[in-house]
Amino acid sequence: MRAVSKVKQHSIARKSLRRTLFFIVLILLAGSTFDAYNQAQLALVLILFIGVLSVTLLTGISGQLSLGQGALMAVGGYCMALLITNKGYSIWVAIPLAIVGAAIAGLLLGISAARLSGPYLAGTTLVIALAIPTLSNRFMSVLKGDEGLPVDVGYPPNWFTKLFGEPSYEQWQLYVALPFAAIALFFASNILLSRTGRMWRAIRDNETAASLSGVNFSRQKIFVFVVSATFAGLSGALYGLRGLVGPSVYPVSLSLTLLTAAVLGGIRSIFGAFIGTVIVVFLPDWIEAVLGSFELSEQVSNFMPALISSLLLILTVVINPAGVAGTHLHKHK
Amino acid sequence: MNVVRNRASLSRSPRSFITTAAVVLAGALALSAVPAQGASTPGVSATEIVLGMQLPQTGPASPGYNKVDDAIRAYFDYVNSKGGVYGRKITLVVKDDTYKAGLTVSTASALINKDKVFAMVGSIGTQTHISVIKDINRRGIPDLFVNSGYSGFYTDPKKYPTTFGALGTYVVEAKILGKHIKENFSKNTVGIVYQTDDFGRNTVEGLAIAGVTFTAKKTAATFIAGTQGSGLDAQMQQLKDNNVDVVVVGAVASAFAAAVSSANKIGYKPAQWIVISVGADATTFQTILGARGIPAASSAGLLAGTISASHAPSPGEAEDEYVKAFKTINDGFNKGPDKRWDNNVLQGMNIGYLTTSALLGVGKDLTRPGIIKYIEANAAKLPSAALSPLGYSSSTHEAFTGFWIGKYDATAVLKPIDATRKVWTTDSAKGAVTELKYTRPAIAADALPKVG
Amino acid sequence: METFLAALFSGTSRGAIYALVALGLVIVWRGAGIVNFAQMGQAMFSTYIASTMITNGYSYWLGFIVAILVGAAMGALLDILVMRPLSNKKKTELLSSDSMRAAVPVIASLGILGVLQALAGIIWAAEERGFPAPYPQEGFTVANNVMPFTSFDVFVISIVLATLLATTLFFKKTGVGLAMRATALNAEVARLSGIRTNFTRSLSWGFSGAASSLAGLLITPTSNLSPNTLDLVLIIGFTAAVVGGLDSPAGSVIGGFLVGMVISFVSFYDTPEDVFLSILSVLLLVLIIRPRGIFGAKDARRV
Repeated sequence: MRAVSKVKQHSIARKSLRRTLFFIVLILLAGSTFDAYNQAQLALVLILFIGVLSVTLLTGISGQLSLGQGALMAVGGYCMALLITNKGYSIWVAIPLAIVGAAIAGLLLGISAARLSGPYLAGTTLVIALAIPTLSNRFMSVLKGDEGLPVDVGYPPNWFTKLFGEPSYEQWQLYVALPFAAIALFFASNILLSRTGRMWRAIRDNETAASLSGVNFSRQKIFVFVVSATFAGLSGALYGLRGLVGPSVYPVSLSLTLLTAAVLGGIRSIFGAFIGTVIVVFLPDWIEAVLGSFELSEQVSNFMPALISSLLLILTVVINPAGVAGTHLHKHK
Repeated sequence: MNVVRNRASLSRSPRSFITTAAVVLAGALALSAVPAQGASTPGVSATEIVLGMQLPQTGPASPGYNKVDDAIRAYFDYVNSKGGVYGRKITLVVKDDTYKAGLTVSTASALINKDKVFAMVGSIGTQTHISVIKDINRRGIPDLFVNSGYSGFYTDPKKYPTTFGALGTYVVEAKILGKHIKENFSKNTVGIVYQTDDFGRNTVEGLAIAGVTFTAKKTAATFIAGTQGSGLDAQMQQLKDNNVDVVVVGAVASAFAAAVSSANKIGYKPAQWIVISVGADATTFQTILGARGIPAASSAGLLAGTISASHAPSPGEAEDEYVKAFKTINDGFNKGPDKRWDNNVLQGMNIGYLTTSALLGVGKDLTRPGIIKYIEANAAKLPSAALSPLGYSSSTHEAFTGFWIGKYDATAVLKPIDATRKVWTTDSAKGAVTELKYTRPAIAADALPKVG
Repeated sequence: METFLAALFSGTSRGAIYALVALGLVIVWRGAGIVNFAQMGQAMFSTYIASTMITNGYSYWLGFIVAILVGAAMGALLDILVMRPLSNKKKTELLSSDSMRAAVPVIASLGILGVLQALAGIIWAAEERGFPAPYPQEGFTVANNVMPFTSFDVFVISIVLATLLATTLFFKKTGVGLAMRATALNAEVARLSGIRTNFTRSLSWGFSGAASSLAGLLITPTSNLSPNTLDLVLIIGFTAAVVGGLDSPAGSVIGGFLVGMVISFVSFYDTPEDVFLSILSVLLLVLIIRPRGIFGAKDARRV
């Protein structure tokens, strides 16, 4: 029995590895054909993709609706920024430590939220998303209030420039985000394919049956929160590296954007998470490109992107709630 | 879960997969590592100069500020109608960041990489600008006339060499008002309501440097008072309980209007309101109270007697030659949804005017380092509607270090508090407040800057 | 003592409005199993309509009534156009679990909120304006002290209490109200026993729309009106509904006043900066003891 499961684990890891490598190649190919602006946008896709994966795992797979992933992103961002500014750590040390910080926050959140479900959990997490950024003013001397902590990806190390030449700032943003996104993808894929993923889906689909079949229900729920928080924290740290860690970087709307991306793409699949993120990031540009050919008054054109993307959101949800990835990709439910 | 098939398919490929990936990775990196700088100056052609601006055009922080870009553009359109700058038309590309710093990073990237702007002009929002200022400076892009009084942007030009302000700093204004409070209200009890952001805190800091002590110091939690759970009732009650009779307001105009309503509600009538210029926009004040059913005459009555400061003439000074000229241009060229004449429009016009002067001053050969060097060295040659010269030098990039103190009259116009207008000046540190002697050059008949 | 009374008064009138917002959410949750995040967007929109009417010379009360009717119509329309088609998809695999049935309509309502805010921006520009009150906003004098409690606040509290009472009676005494409760308890059974469940659902949406429009009309005179003004009011109202128990109208009242008091006392005695942290603490405290709110059904887990 044990031997069989070991073989299986091995094959799951390989499948995930294959997906990850494909992903890396795809991103690098796309990145090399894009112009500077779209390279930065692609880097943003990678960063938010990790955050959307945290929603996929928490909401799509284990069925817990969180509207406060942005708060966990903020925790990751602040941990990293504090380590960089106060301790002088490099981002490669600060980011992993920030993930640990976010995981601890996820643990606390999971413990307090383990008994909550549906709208009660949604409400609590929404208020968390609202309350956490206000801490920056409460602890002004450390967290620097509204001004926040400016951080960025900095410059590539020497060995990198020697090997590959001097990248532009946008390329470097992309290359910093890529390994993290790849690692996140690998782990998410592993979790989804493994026994853990199946257990989480069982919780989602039927709590009672899951607990009858011996799943330790609350402990698993907390565990989901911790895992999801590590993804959110990583995403938040990278998001802050775009220039600033501050309350206006992690507003409530950020949490809602992640959820929107997850639903648009298909909330139960990794592929869906990626497609959804691409849509959310690039949609305003597409709308702008289309609207550019119309003569609109400023009052109208200012609000057009918001109007069109909101309409698209409603249409997607009403016509095909399974998202772009569709139900056929949810085979391993 | 088809384990066997997966194994079979994988066992053939992993190594070649990794090899392929590595080759592609190396290739992609090599391909895309193009040098960042082109030969010609971005955003400048024989016929056009492209400038970029970021501000909240929509969303909770947008009211009032969403008029500034229209005013700047109106002035540029006017310049273009007169033949542009050395035959080049000025195009202003505006991006809405909804006051979310995460979005500001993206819109800055769009302005730099997609619209290929020559310079950034008049960007609004301290928090949002913090997220991009380093990148803009690193690229050597001129970051002109930033609409923020946050001293951290300007007082160390070595840190941000390309960034120049368009306002006096909040600290300077607070120090000047603080001196006035010290001299005229030393027997009164002074309290303050301020925003918990850089603006509010710099105001408190400036007043403290001036030696003002507060009996009650109350914060106004959020950027926009209107979205607050309980308006400003609590703050006003606390000020009332502490018998405060001089209330300093360091908040935006809508918050000031809300504060006056709240005070009215509890029958609290402080002897003196003192409002930092950011919050002292008569139009916003009267519009908000007007829609609440308070007619313009009554709201002007509520505003009357309020003390504020300004670096520019009050928009209500119809006889001021700059105000007159800008108003005419605004009427003819502003295509924005709300072009009512107020502080925001005046400030936008003034930025348009200053930008045009700078572009004219550099000459036909327009480069990024050129304009930065020109502005830093020739601040005195760049007059504007402001009643104080630009303070730019190699040691600071603060814009207007002079403010005059005024009092609102019964028609909602800010009038100088002294018989003749006195302009005061100081620095953003501990320096003393002294009187500034400055004669503003007249505006030309065609309202175009003449740089010679 | 004065500050205490002031905080108490302020908390009461604010709490009444939060209770109304919470009630709107509870009605839709009971009627359709959906948390409607667009609710205060609808209220914002109808308040803008009233504001436009009033500034164009129509009487306050005409604007008031039109806004409430528009709110009701908008609620019903949203159900018919968006939410009903969505819930008809319940049979699809994705919507088979409870959590997804809660999550997907949330997204739809966020989309509706976005549409309404963008439309308001296009129609009324993104300017900030005030909104009038029908009664003077000058505080009563208690023991030689002017309190932050005005005739308008009396109007707010009485109209909210009347609405709450009317709602309770409606659910308990009228046929339509009973049908709505039956639909909320079990739509299948209700349908089989001849209740037009689609109709009662849309009716819930209409009621909720009217209640939240009323809340918008009552809260804007003390804040300002802009497309985003009511975002926070929704979150606070949602907190109130969750604290009280999402399926209990009585709970929404208790939750509304509780949250109103917390916000008021924290603002008066501490600083408004701490408002959200204190709301969060109250929320966590209540939900740790009672995971489904104070008045929530003890264990509504459907097996």
